[in-house]
Amino acid sequence: MLELDRVTPAFARLVSADAPLDRIYHGLSFGEGPLWNRRDGTFLWVDIVGDTIHRWKPGVGAEVFIRPSNKANGLTFDKEGRLCVAGWASRSVWRVEPDGSVTTLASHYQGKRINSPNDIVVRSDGSIYFTDSPGALYNVGMAAEDLQQYLDFQGVFRISPDGARLDAVIADTVYPNGLAFTPDESVLYVNDTRLGEIRAYDMRPDGSCGPKRLFHKLAGSEPGIADGMKVDREGNVYCTGPGGIHVIGSDGELLGRIRIPDHCTNMAWGDPDWRSLYITTYSSVFRTRVNVPGVPVW
Amino acid sequence: MDWTFEKVAGPFEGPTGGLAWDGSGMLFSAITEGRILRYEPASGNVTEFRKHTNRTNGLAFAPEGALYGCQESSRRVIHFADDGSSATTAFLLDGRYHNQPNNLAIDLQGRIWFSDPWSELRASGPQIFAALEHASVLRLELDSFRKLWSIRRMTYDTVAPRAVALSPDESTLYVAETDNSPFGRRELRAYPILPDNTLGPHTVLHTFGRDYRGEHRGIEGMCTDSEGNIVACAGWRKSGPGPLVCVFSPGGAIIESHRVPFDQPVNCAFGDADLGSLYVTTAGGELYRVRNCGRQGRVLPTAKSSRRAQ
Repeated sequence: MLELDRVTPAFARLVSADAPLDRIYHGLSFGEGPLWNRRDGTFLWVDIVGDTIHRWKPGVGAEVFIRPSNKANGLTFDKEGRLCVAGWASRSVWRVEPDGSVTTLASHYQGKRINSPNDIVVRSDGSIYFTDSPGALYNVGMAAEDLQQYLDFQGVFRISPDGARLDAVIADTVYPNGLAFTPDESVLYVNDTRLGEIRAYDMRPDGSCGPKRLFHKLAGSEPGIADGMKVDREGNVYCTGPGGIHVIGSDGELLGRIRIPDHCTNMAWGDPDWRSLYITTYSSVFRTRVNVPGVPVW
Repeated sequence: MDWTFEKVAGPFEGPTGGLAWDGSGMLFSAITEGRILRYEPASGNVTEFRKHTNRTNGLAFAPEGALYGCQESSRRVIHFADDGSSATTAFLLDGRYHNQPNNLAIDLQGRIWFSDPWSELRASGPQIFAALEHASVLRLELDSFRKLWSIRRMTYDTVAPRAVALSPDESTLYVAETDNSPFGRRELRAYPILPDNTLGPHTVLHTFGRDYRGEHRGIEGMCTDSEGNIVACAGWRKSGPGPLVCVFSPGGAIIESHRVPFDQPVNCAFGDADLGSLYVTTAGGELYRVRNCGRQGRVLPTAKSSRRAQ
């Protein structure tokens, strides 16, 4: 059973209180990076502090996929199904090739080492967008090897489809964290942990971002912050925040909250119908079911 | 003798903290701004030495010339390398993250003695690692063969360690236990460093009082001079004799006391070519200098420079 805070009647159509909340894994130090692999029907996630990428198959169980992971954070697939990693402590974005080798996709901007990639998403043209907050440079227990911040901004970067260019598409965020496109990819949502808000940036034809618009300000007194964020096929935004997952309509209004019994860090759509919501917390991975499918991952 | 305090830098946002003389300039922390600045007496210029330091406070050079700082908000002592990078030392004491290091002193063996008080300020990131149940002076030691740092707990009787300093012969560790809250303990202590790598029972060299206006502010930062006297920053306008830089003999006698023309001196270090000037940081975010203060800093024998001082 789900504990729900219903704010508007529209919420009931998206999430049902009789949906299960199954804990499919526990014992993590800091769960993050949830990702469904539609090709083999497995679910991946990371333990940042535990320095591991885990893999779980429904009905089979969990195994260690990559360890050490250099404290990997956000995960996604590119259009060829290769795992792309927001490399938190490696201070890079890296890709796992079919033969298991690793290719670095981004590590420096204008000759300077980037901060610490946090979360990552691939657009339909093959470009990769990632947030570059500085957490691995400062956070207790998540240290990179080189702790010096060289860039004077914490923004969002875009790797061009051919991998040749790295552009700073957003530079006015303080602690950018989760990011997701609208279903038509016309708008990029980015949340900012420090400011407790979700911003919307209109996409330009060249893949750059227009000026920021405040989309939603997170509210609530319970523990929880703006961290992971995903969008469903109707354009509703699911974002971690105080108390659990905040579900926000495409107009920016809060529809309701899914309460999660642990500090929630991120979520991902999964299962063949993309109607399961896999949720990472500090210690656990949960799975529930929702009524509107999510935007699929490549 | 009278000291003349001359403001040479600031104010910056928030307090200035730790200092370290690099041979031709004085490095000092602008804690809140997350920067280490450098004052060069020859030109009078203030330049940015390092930014994005995440509330680094205490600074000190090791004998071989490496610069270390107490990165309070990340709960670790870090090494600021010459190439502009920075790397952590050990941060676990018996498997647990220590508190927010504040001040440090490095001995001739390169061991880093640092105070590890609790802080009311939040450290960076998710609050998943609790503070230690004690606030102590800790010591970082490098296993030079394996290049691994480890941490050893040195005091077992402190609750609010702030400033630390070593006697020139490194037989004594001075610790300022400074809790400025009502009825908090504020003492200057001398711990003998024993041959078995532990500290003996401490002698209290000085106790700070209180009056109808409140507690007298204890020592926030200190250093030792070439004769082994302790130069300490303490006091505030709120109560008692006011903001002071005091010089204590190794035995604890107050041999000099200087009223400062600003509130709440934070820390101090000797600098300039003869190490005959005393530099003082302030709660108001400034850097002051006293030329020809009549005392001299300790020259540390270093490979890179013979003029670096703590």
